[in-house]
Amino acid sequence: MIEIKDLTVIIDGKIIIEDINLNIEDGEIVAIVGPNGGGKTTLIKTLLGFITPSSGVVYIDGKNPKGFIKESKVGYLPQKSSYEKDFPVSALDVVMFGLINEKIPKSQKIRKAMEYMKYVGMEGFENYPFGRLSGGQQQRVMIARALISQPKLLILDEPSTGIDVVAQENFYEFLKKINQDRGITVIMVSHDVGVVANYVHKVAGLNRKLHFFGKPKDFFQTNVLNQLYGSDVNLLIHSPECITCQHFMPDKLLEGIKH
Amino acid sequence: MNILELLTTDFILNAVIGGLILAILLSVLSLFIYVKKWSFINVGISHAAFGGLAIGYIAGISPSITGSIFAVIVGILIGFLSKRGKFHEDISIGILLSFSMALGVILISFSNNYNSDLFSFLFGNILTITREDITTLGIFTVIAFAFLYVYFKKLLYCCFDEEVAKVSGVKTDFLYYSLIVLMAIATVLSIKLVGSILASAMMILPAATSSQIFWHYRSIVVFSIIISIFTVVTGIFISFEFNLPSGSTIVMVYSVIFFVITAVKRFLK
Repeated sequence: MIEIKDLTVIIDGKIIIEDINLNIEDGEIVAIVGPNGGGKTTLIKTLLGFITPSSGVVYIDGKNPKGFIKESKVGYLPQKSSYEKDFPVSALDVVMFGLINEKIPKSQKIRKAMEYMKYVGMEGFENYPFGRLSGGQQQRVMIARALISQPKLLILDEPSTGIDVVAQENFYEFLKKINQDRGITVIMVSHDVGVVANYVHKVAGLNRKLHFFGKPKDFFQTNVLNQLYGSDVNLLIHSPECITCQHFMPDKLLEGIKH
Repeated sequence: MNILELLTTDFILNAVIGGLILAILLSVLSLFIYVKKWSFINVGISHAAFGGLAIGYIAGISPSITGSIFAVIVGILIGFLSKRGKFHEDISIGILLSFSMALGVILISFSNNYNSDLFSFLFGNILTITREDITTLGIFTVIAFAFLYVYFKKLLYCCFDEEVAKVSGVKTDFLYYSLIVLMAIATVLSIKLVGSILASAMMILPAATSSQIFWHYRSIVVFSIIISIFTVVTGIFISFEFNLPSGSTIVMVYSVIFFVITAVKRFLK
């Protein structure tokens, strides 16, 4: 699906990404993690064709990013905590933006948008002002907008920004469901290594260079975290299978889980 | 003289027809200025148009043509600088605005009727709207509406989130600069009605006022058109009745409506 070869991006004389090689298969969920300023968003923008590589190449299904976007459909969710509160569109309008280039009757667009609103659990909010929805609700609507064109590739930049912890986990579960239902390749940038590890097939650890690319369990077993973040890192992993997490759980809660 | 009698007077009829066409055109454009938060860009363009009008006036070419060309160039330049983000857009607009105004005033100072010409460029002179002006305005409005009819949703999508729209296959740069060109030409065409200083108000106030009552773009556009028609007609008649400058009266009526609606809204909350 995605092939990145010897990719280097230099912006205003500063090396942001250096010599990256990466292959992402069809239908994988990949999380790009790393510290702030490590080049995560730059990598995403290069994949979207917004940034031209200084050297190296990026192929998506054998095409360059601009060519791929022109011919295929990409669902993109930018890094944004919230949208303008008074932007004069409804949630349904936003979902219908995803069909902007489709040559189908308006009634069909509305019907399709309603379906996707339902799919993301936002049924009943169709005619609600988009700007007045909560951060999590806006994310769901934006996801519906990204999915409605039935993309082969979904790119998410910090999708959990502005969402509380519970909503975040629901959101990742939801992503997993989309991936399983539709076989969409998902690439997402995230800060929450401990959280996303439960939901992705692969993790890419990026801090200018690619320090790690592989399965999440290997990510935590190597000293890559120290390389990536530059110092000793304490990681809190939220996982039902995590044995060490139980040490932090109150006894009564543990008993409840055992029963 | 009552309203119907006034409308039999040629120059008042021209003013009303021209004013109504402008009211409708600027109301629709105002939605995009409101959602893009482009009011300062609009102020920059309307002041820039003044420099262009003065060039035409002194060179003996149609001021509308030179004004439009100058406003379009300055508008694209402001848009380019804002998009590139090398300069803060307030600074680039501030510099271009001052430059154009200074150029305009210097050029007009060579005119024999310095004061009256300067005044009519700055504040408009509705009595000078001719049949030819109305024809030009009508043709431009038809072109602008044809463009808006085709690209309305895409423009709105770009205003909502340009990057996302681009990934969806929308030609965002083309739409961005097209909107600036439309704004620039509409501004120049509205100068005879309200003058270069107040032209931007005609594009900012409609959507700003309507959005105090409505939240959806469709209702905002419809109410903007209604309120603009009311304001322009009322403004023209008040200005004629009380011998006031027409452009300033129209903007004053608009501002009063805006303040009243805002105050009532706050009071009701």
